[in-house]
Amino acid sequence: MDTPTTLDQPQHSKRDFLKYLLGGGILAWLGAVFYPVFAYLKPPKQGDVEVTSVKAGKLSEIEKESGVIVRFGNKPVMMIRTAEGEVRAFSATCTHLDCTVQFRKDTGVIWCACHNGKYDLNGRVVGGPPPRPLDEYRVIIQADEVIISSRT
Amino acid sequence: MALVNNNALAIVLCSVLALPTAFGTAQAQDQCLTCHSTLEDNASTAFKGDIHFRNGLTCASCHGGDSHTDDMEKAMGTAAGFIGVPKGDRISVACAKCHSDAGVMVKKYNSAIPLDQMELVGGSVHGKLSTSGREHIAQCTSCHGAHGIVTKTNRSSPVHPLNLPATCAKCHSDATFMRTYNPSLPVDQLEKYKTSVHGKRNKNGDPKTAECASCHGSHEILSAKDPRSQVHPTKLPATCAKCHSDATYMRPYGIASDQFEQFARSVHGQALLEKKDLGAPACNDCHGNHGAAPPGVESVSKVCGTCHALNAELFSSSPHKKAFDSRKLPECETCHGNHEIVAAKDELLGVGEGAVCAWCHKENSNIKGYQIARTMRSLADSLIVSEENAIMLVDEAEQKGMEVGEAKFKLREIRQARLETRTKVHSFDLDQFSEVATRGFGSAAKVSTEASEAIDQYYFRRWGLFIASLIITILAFALYISIRRIEKEQVQNR
Amino acid sequence: MKTLWNRTFTWIDERVQLSDVMHFLEKKSVPVHSHSVWYYFGGVSLFLFIIQVVTGILLLLYYKGSEELAFESIQFIMAKVEFGWLIRSIHSWAANLFILSAFIHMFSVLFEKAYRKPRELTWLSGMILLFLGMGFGFSGYLLPWNEVSFFATKVGTDIAGVLPIVGEPIMVFLRGGEDVTGATLSRFFGFHVAVLPGIFTVVLGLHLLLVQRQGMSKPLSYERLPVTDQKTMPFFPNFMLRDLLLWLLVLNLLAILAVFFPWELGVKADPFAPAPAGIKPEWYFMFMFQTLKYIPGELWFLEGEVVGILLFSLAGVVWMFIPFWDKKSSRGEENRFINYIGLFALIYIIILTTIGWLS
Repeated sequence: MDTPTTLDQPQHSKRDFLKYLLGGGILAWLGAVFYPVFAYLKPPKQGDVEVTSVKAGKLSEIEKESGVIVRFGNKPVMMIRTAEGEVRAFSATCTHLDCTVQFRKDTGVIWCACHNGKYDLNGRVVGGPPPRPLDEYRVIIQADEVIISSRT
Repeated sequence: MALVNNNALAIVLCSVLALPTAFGTAQAQDQCLTCHSTLEDNASTAFKGDIHFRNGLTCASCHGGDSHTDDMEKAMGTAAGFIGVPKGDRISVACAKCHSDAGVMVKKYNSAIPLDQMELVGGSVHGKLSTSGREHIAQCTSCHGAHGIVTKTNRSSPVHPLNLPATCAKCHSDATFMRTYNPSLPVDQLEKYKTSVHGKRNKNGDPKTAECASCHGSHEILSAKDPRSQVHPTKLPATCAKCHSDATYMRPYGIASDQFEQFARSVHGQALLEKKDLGAPACNDCHGNHGAAPPGVESVSKVCGTCHALNAELFSSSPHKKAFDSRKLPECETCHGNHEIVAAKDELLGVGEGAVCAWCHKENSNIKGYQIARTMRSLADSLIVSEENAIMLVDEAEQKGMEVGEAKFKLREIRQARLETRTKVHSFDLDQFSEVATRGFGSAAKVSTEASEAIDQYYFRRWGLFIASLIITILAFALYISIRRIEKEQVQNR
Repeated sequence: MKTLWNRTFTWIDERVQLSDVMHFLEKKSVPVHSHSVWYYFGGVSLFLFIIQVVTGILLLLYYKGSEELAFESIQFIMAKVEFGWLIRSIHSWAANLFILSAFIHMFSVLFEKAYRKPRELTWLSGMILLFLGMGFGFSGYLLPWNEVSFFATKVGTDIAGVLPIVGEPIMVFLRGGEDVTGATLSRFFGFHVAVLPGIFTVVLGLHLLLVQRQGMSKPLSYERLPVTDQKTMPFFPNFMLRDLLLWLLVLNLLAILAVFFPWELGVKADPFAPAPAGIKPEWYFMFMFQTLKYIPGELWFLEGEVVGILLFSLAGVVWMFIPFWDKKSSRGEENRFINYIGLFALIYIIILTTIGWLS
């Protein structure tokens, strides 16, 4: 666009260098911008958002006399449904030594495999070494949706 | 109750039969007793042995009336303040008239008996309203009797240490009676007590061994669930220690007196006494309370197993059960101790220093057990190292502001596996043990990889920024130079 | 190479008269004076808007606008998607820098009186763009569905709700119900990615068109100089290259901010939890929020908040129509009154924002 002027040789080579610097710079810059963008566009290894936390499922799909572990942030939560159909949620962290408890349908208790701690379905200790009852979480049922929320 | 009825009858008889003039004035100071003695009723007979009689008290002191006159109408007339047989709370009120009054007890009789007994009873479980709602459950006479009261050191006193269990049992072993107040309270305490070491010695006439009041207190008895109670779990060890930590007291029985100190240092003692963890066992949880006695060698694992069920179960089905029993080794206790059980650390396992396995499993004589113990220990140690390593990596990644929520969540799995291995040790089976340990190693590897990736990512971001900034700086510089050049040319062209 | 370029140019030129545009650009010039630096902030705002569009589209690929998934999807973008952390942090930082740059742009135009005849419409469209930008900020703030954003939105829409008569319907319209719920999130998401960008693009087009039609405004002091002393520089390439240079630096700044101060995500909103302490709106709403706090609960016969909102609305209208009542500047005379108003507004905003930020 700019017309060549009466430039002598050394200035000419300087101009060439600048041209390369500009061109190279633009190319590198494009790389620096588009590499993250393309990497971002590539679907991540884990296909989709991990559904975690508070939404625990549909009430109609939770069996009576069952208990499942629901991930609640960084903590596991034991959601149980009693034979009467009531849904309760407790911290699944055993109060004894922080193992993760499980629901035992045969004995109808929440049970910790580590030291045989047993809690009833209200989270109270009924056997074994746990010193405290399980912390209870709030269960909210909206329409058919079971939402577990921390008790504050 | 029968006593009181007889008494009432006697008074009626006296008023009908006795002639007022039949008695001289020699015993004018207590005309009541004079008259009643002739009737030979239980009350007056017993009263002659009563400590109150010996201290100069008269019938009128409790029953009111005028003991100086032999005129029955006058003596037992309302004008003289005669109240007859006190009923319900009036019994205790009559006792408290003097026993709560320092002026009488201390000044007049120079007595050392505490003055707060009435007050204490009022705050105790026995001071609650009775089923009738008009009086309180227990009156002074319920335990101390009425007319034959003697000091508690007197062998015939119902509150003498050797008599007390039976006295308390009058009500406490009566299921029908107890049901009206506390249906869930057992009524077999006396039966259990009789089987205990304390009970047996008590029966054989040793007043030094513990009876009901030694632990529960006397006037101030509270429910065991009441945190103020001497037998509340948090206070029970100290209560037992009153006697059991007294070396001089315990010397005749030839047993140690350091159990409390040991217990206080133990993992159970720390949990109970310091953390106030009511799930932790107090003395009675292993020894029994009313039936207190040391558990037998073979039942140790059953006793410990009431809480440590999984360990006990694994132990009972392991080859060690038979081996321990046949050698008369107390089960859990052999390795873990009794009163001074410290938190079971991995150091107990293996053949090195501080480890217990090598006590029996020697390198030269019992090579199989020796090797298994050594392998288990090395697995346990590596699991700890793996966990520490994983935690360190996760912490580092977190400190660098990386999102490692998921890795943190998985840290729990390692910890869980590590805790489970400690339980699995009690199977003394290498396969069971390493299965759990392997699971832990797997989780640890996964967490470590994730955390390392996050840390790498942190450096990658900084390097990426550095390179991008470098590129932008070069480009900006080149652009700046070109602008200047273009403008120089424009000036030249003009 | 050169010939291919020329041929392509000619091909297009023949069809859309590209040389006209080139000619226009070559003729366009930028006044050079001691306040020239302020010319750049319009361009920087434009650049930041472009960044917002690009990063916004990228975020849209993974974001999920629902109550259950919004927070998790951003967590996912930050942790699982390659460079997701970068895109999101840049989007958040650029949003704030955009408002900042637009504010600077606005105040520079005010102090230079660049809004005076014939640029009244440019000012007006610019003000609309600023309001839309704040709307972007307000709606975008809720989208991560975290605790602070949830409660800030609650408070923000509450304030709208206190207005007499129209307040309640406005609040319900914004919230999509009586309360801030998942419905609000869906609504704000819609505003943020469809409604606002649509309107914004149209107004921005108008704004830029006006700027190009009328050329760069000249300050009064510059205009009074003899024509020979009025220094200029060609828009193309001189000014445009400078613009590009600055944009590059802004981009680098964004990258540095994103890497060293990644935008935090916080805790997921729990509609049933009590509000945590220290809920603050975005900084550019702070001065209004803080003012409302100082107004007593009752003023005359009106609620304090209502008075505050009405006063701000009034001030906004007066401010927006400055070019239409400031006849003095349009006549080419110095109007110090505008400077005082501008200075007062600037100091007021700075002081109250600082107080709000520190409290």
